Amino acid sequence: MSSPDPDPATGPRPGEEPGGAPAAVAADPPEDRRTVLGGGALGLLLLVGAVLVLAEAAALHAATDATPLGPAVFPALVGALMAVVGVALVVRAARRLGAAPSSEPIPLSRVLRLAGLLVLLVGFAVALPLAGYVVSSTALFTGAALLLGAPRPWHTLAYGWTLVAVVYLVFDRLIGLTLPAGPWGF
Amino acid sequence: MDQLGALMQGFADAVTLGNLVWALVGVTIGTVVGVLPGIGPALTVAMLLPLTFRLDPASSLIMFAGIYYGGMYGGSTTSILLNTPGESASMVSALEGNKMARAGRGAAALATAAIGSFVAGTIGTIGLTFLAPAVAELAVGFGPPEYVALMALSFVTVSALLGRSLVKGAASLLIGLAIGLVGIDAQSGQARLDFGVPALLDGIDVVVVVVALFALGETFERLLRGTGRETVEPVRGRAVLSREDWRRSWPAWLRGTALGFPIGGLPAGGADVPTFLSYSLERRLSKHRSQFGKGAIEGVAGPEAANNAAAAGVLVPLLTIGLPTSATAAVILTAFQSYGLQPGPQLFTESGPLLWTLIASLYIGNVMLLVLNLPLVRLWARLLTIPAYGIYAAVLVFSTLGTFASGGTFDDLIVLYALGLVALVLRLADAPVAPAVVGVILGPLAETQLRRALALSQGDPAVLVSSPLTVTLWVLIVLALLAPLAWRLTRGVRERRRTAPPVPVTAVESQADQD
Repeated sequence: MSSPDPDPATGPRPGEEPGGAPAAVAADPPEDRRTVLGGGALGLLLLVGAVLVLAEAAALHAATDATPLGPAVFPALVGALMAVVGVALVVRAARRLGAAPSSEPIPLSRVLRLAGLLVLLVGFAVALPLAGYVVSSTALFTGAALLLGAPRPWHTLAYGWTLVAVVYLVFDRLIGLTLPAGPWGF
Repeated sequence: MDQLGALMQGFADAVTLGNLVWALVGVTIGTVVGVLPGIGPALTVAMLLPLTFRLDPASSLIMFAGIYYGGMYGGSTTSILLNTPGESASMVSALEGNKMARAGRGAAALATAAIGSFVAGTIGTIGLTFLAPAVAELAVGFGPPEYVALMALSFVTVSALLGRSLVKGAASLLIGLAIGLVGIDAQSGQARLDFGVPALLDGIDVVVVVVALFALGETFERLLRGTGRETVEPVRGRAVLSREDWRRSWPAWLRGTALGFPIGGLPAGGADVPTFLSYSLERRLSKHRSQFGKGAIEGVAGPEAANNAAAAGVLVPLLTIGLPTSATAAVILTAFQSYGLQPGPQLFTESGPLLWTLIASLYIGNVMLLVLNLPLVRLWARLLTIPAYGIYAAVLVFSTLGTFASGGTFDDLIVLYALGLVALVLRLADAPVAPAVVGVILGPLAETQLRRALALSQGDPAVLVSSPLTVTLWVLIVLALLAPLAWRLTRGVRERRRTAPPVPVTAVESQADQD
């Protein structure tokens, strides 16, 4: 990067601003609005984490003579750094939000699909001990594939059943990890 | 040379039928997951960690090492044919490799990547063979203060080097450290961050964390962002190199190896930096500079070699000091721990035969990978035609399988999903995930060493800077923290100076940035 290649054949790229003044200062492409908001959300997540970790550190017993560094010191350090980085991320996001190039918002249908997948995953956790590994994993595969846009439900179900059956045979029967068996034994 | 004798004994142990089969299984799985976008070696090894309950150490470690090396080979296939690198270290290969594939030279790109990976992987493994025992001997003298400094250096460089922004890397690392705190504190017996949930008392299993961060985060993000259609470039012709290709490739392989192994071997490495360095070096040295950006073979050969040599280099600090500098290395460290083995200087004296069998199997795995990846590359390329929904649905099946096998309760699965949402936030913020993995695994070790150091000094923190080595390491840590800042400042100044003559210079500069 430090030696620009003065190749006359490659002119300015299409879509490159001729003056290039704002783009040239930061070599990285500027973050779009969605990434900036994501950075802010990450900052908030760290702040929540910092509160949890610091509260826990405060509740732990102090050091004894035998161990000068008690169980609370390392969490306190991690919690404090989380708070600092969290604040930095939120401030950074707030400052960049105005200048960030707009991006397409995530459509509601996709958020609903994500919610659907979470419901499916929790349902899988509930069903696993009751319905056995093969049936619940096949349902998980089929449901997830359909949420991700699989076109033909019956084909998908067949793929899922085949994959899960192979996994069950290899891991349960061959290697010996005991996977939950439903009322029908697999 | 006792290394050679030990290595020969290692080969004798590694060429038993069982171990050869495990190596073949490992490199095959590694190639497959390397090729499939969205799954990488770290995730795969993590999902297979529960197998350590069933297999003996040699078998599973040989398999995991095969997955580790295989993932590097497979990753290049994806970046060349699909232009979506499976992992960041393969990103650079996509720059020239995908251009070559579009120009109908995909076969040559794949061949130079595979042979370059073999050359670099073999030289890197030779380096590991001779360097590791020496480093281990040096590291025998390390006490807790040295380990604290080394781990702090690793934390800082991992968050600064992986990803674009130090703050986001640090955020990822801290999330990992916080997750690593969960569970009963081994020294005081007090439960930390368990929130009254019994499943959290033992801590959150590494399998759950890695699977959540890589697999679930990726799947959730895929669902939110939608699946864009990607075009797989067909491979035309046989994967052979012309005389011209050879002549341009081999110096690039060697230069890439020379950059990759030492940087990967630093207790601060990772495979990303040397690939970028190799790319810019090849670009500068090449006689065909105008081809760069349009499919220059050196731009594939160098970075691919650097990538694989760095992968071998990363094993040096992992095996000799117990210091993982990449996500996969961190997970492999966990595999050692689940057998009660702690990588570090004692490993060579205590488990020498196991270690030498492992190193010998790395040589064997490299040969297997060359055979798997040259003639069979079109078979692997066909994996890329599996639709994304199938891959991610299968990833969910394997993720829940790995989680269930490691813990086996409803609560473990709920923890997995919750951490998957945390990973989604990381991804939406464009923050790297690997520092979190390193934090989870290295955090508890760092805390133990810190407490040991202070117990030895009876609470005097000066013990942390009590030797020349520790002082040097802490200076390096400060430099690593300040370097990106200083670099950005100087670059900002330079850019502003350059923008003075308006049109031509900025056009060239942005050209250089995009390549």
